[in-house]
Amino acid sequence: MISTRFVLKRLLLLVPVLVGVASLVFSILHLSPGDPALTIAGERASEEFVRQVEESLGLNDPIWVQYGRFLADAAQFQFGESFIIQRNTTVREVLANKLPVTLELALYGQLIGISLGIPLGILSAVKQDSITDHLTRIGALAGISVPIFWSGPLLILLFAQVLGLLPTSGRISVLYNVEAIRVTGLVTIDTLIAGELDMFVSAVRHMILPASVIGVYSMALISRMMRSSMLEVIRQDYMRTARAKGQGSKITVLKHGFRNAMIPVITVIGIQFGGLLGGAVLTETVFAIGGIGTLLVEAIKVGDYPIVQGTVLTFAFLFTLVNLGVDITYSILDPRIEQ
Amino acid sequence: MSTETKTTTETPAEMGERGLIDRFRASPFVSRLLSNRLALAGIAIIVAMVVIAIYARLFIDLEVISQSQLGTNPNRAAPSVEYLFGTDGQARSLLPRVAYGAWYAMLFGTVTVAASTALGVGLGIIAAYYGDVTDNVIMRTMDVLLAFPSLLLALALVAIFPDELGLWRAVAALTLVYTPRFARVVRGAALTVLENEYIDATVALGAADPRVLVRHVLPNCLAPITVQSTLNFGLAIIDLAALSFLGFGAEAGTPSWGLMLSNGVSQGLLTGIWWWSFFPGLFLALTVLGFNLLGDGMRDALDPRMREAVD
Repeated sequence: MISTRFVLKRLLLLVPVLVGVASLVFSILHLSPGDPALTIAGERASEEFVRQVEESLGLNDPIWVQYGRFLADAAQFQFGESFIIQRNTTVREVLANKLPVTLELALYGQLIGISLGIPLGILSAVKQDSITDHLTRIGALAGISVPIFWSGPLLILLFAQVLGLLPTSGRISVLYNVEAIRVTGLVTIDTLIAGELDMFVSAVRHMILPASVIGVYSMALISRMMRSSMLEVIRQDYMRTARAKGQGSKITVLKHGFRNAMIPVITVIGIQFGGLLGGAVLTETVFAIGGIGTLLVEAIKVGDYPIVQGTVLTFAFLFTLVNLGVDITYSILDPRIEQ
Repeated sequence: MSTETKTTTETPAEMGERGLIDRFRASPFVSRLLSNRLALAGIAIIVAMVVIAIYARLFIDLEVISQSQLGTNPNRAAPSVEYLFGTDGQARSLLPRVAYGAWYAMLFGTVTVAASTALGVGLGIIAAYYGDVTDNVIMRTMDVLLAFPSLLLALALVAIFPDELGLWRAVAALTLVYTPRFARVVRGAALTVLENEYIDATVALGAADPRVLVRHVLPNCLAPITVQSTLNFGLAIIDLAALSFLGFGAEAGTPSWGLMLSNGVSQGLLTGIWWWSFFPGLFLALTVLGFNLLGDGMRDALDPRMREAVD
């Protein structure tokens, strides 16, 4: 159904983009005003010591040598050790620790977005210009207009402060030690694997607000795209033919319309994954969740360059991979695209 | 009778102007846009925000609303008749601060959108017109910029600029982030325009490249550019606030919505002081909603296929 050649071609096309991405990150950090050696050595270190640090980091080498080394390291996902945030820990380890936190948040957010956005979009299209349609459209527009760093605080104030129903921050109650049962790094999964029901409930309760905040945004985008794509498909001749053959309108919509209408929706889901990662940075800040979003913000503030490099490249890599996934799904849904 | 005398006294310039307005009204794009109630609501919100912004800039003294009012005003007072939006941790009334935030949002939002539009339009048109290597170099660079989630690229770029620039570094970072979107849209539109025979005719008549691009290609790409700019306006205002919220935008003490929200979250949330987050966020969300409503309406008006589906 889907040719290996197509996937290989897409993978090859990724290489120049990823090299470009790595080069951009390299230039950004070299243009930044901070001095990495001084940051590590500390403001009051002797000049000699600062020079030693410079030497050990290879900062005295010509720029193209540094660039080559950076590309080679980036290809192996080696970014050295964190300067400040977690000294003597490799960036790889730090990321391995924090990435699942962000992914879990993005995953649940996306799940909420897709599971609500698609049905709402279809409903809106099928019942075009009804009250349901108007409410969905206005709701979706409001959904993409409300910033996460406003809806988040408001939900915290309502559900946590006023109603006292849900926790306000973190991933799980501080009473539990999740590190002890760590398998995947996703708390909602790890607690289930360990069979700790109390912990699982706590993790889910912590996830509800942040995931909903991200989910609403994603739902809004998906339902908008689903609606307009479905409207376009409904007008196609093959839909009229199906109805003329005497098929019920519900079956027609779902059987013939859905698959074709999904193609642009999948693109939106992919593109919007980038927004989701950006949203994760804000959501993690609002809900005090220690993922790679908050890590990046902290690393930029204190000048922990290896962490900045690692996180930014990870984000870009993830985003590029998702877009590759979108391309492949695309070609499964519409084999003509391969040509 | 009176109208007759009026028209005869009109200068040619005035007549030209009237002709323009009539042409504007008669354009199917404008009439479709003005018959869209949601788009009108968007325009109303934007106009209201612009009025608030200009009023704040002219009549509110930035120094006065930035100074601590401890001892003069009640500290952390909840909204009341006297302090409509309540007071903050330095006893400053929030109402004039939130109003002044509209000025910041509009000013920096406009600069960001204008700069990225100009840059993107230039690159897009050049890529489309010269094609080949030029096209490839420009568009592949744009691809690299598009490979990053936008807010994260902005965060990384902000680090290049010195702190002293305050909100301007957020503007610079976001300009670079948004440029590729405009370049793509404009390149696509320009390629279509370039296929027209009148372009070949102009070139054959010996028009120089800049003249062809500015006089003939650009005007025919204006519609998609305008829609993209409007939709991007809302995004720019959110992202500027987001960067301030994360600590990479407005300097401490500036009455920007993002900074006020950051303060509301870090200090007001656990103490239940809802008005520190509520009012700045409400204004921010309303402004963005206004631009999204208008942008959506413009897109529908430009691409009437969606409308025809109704009929």
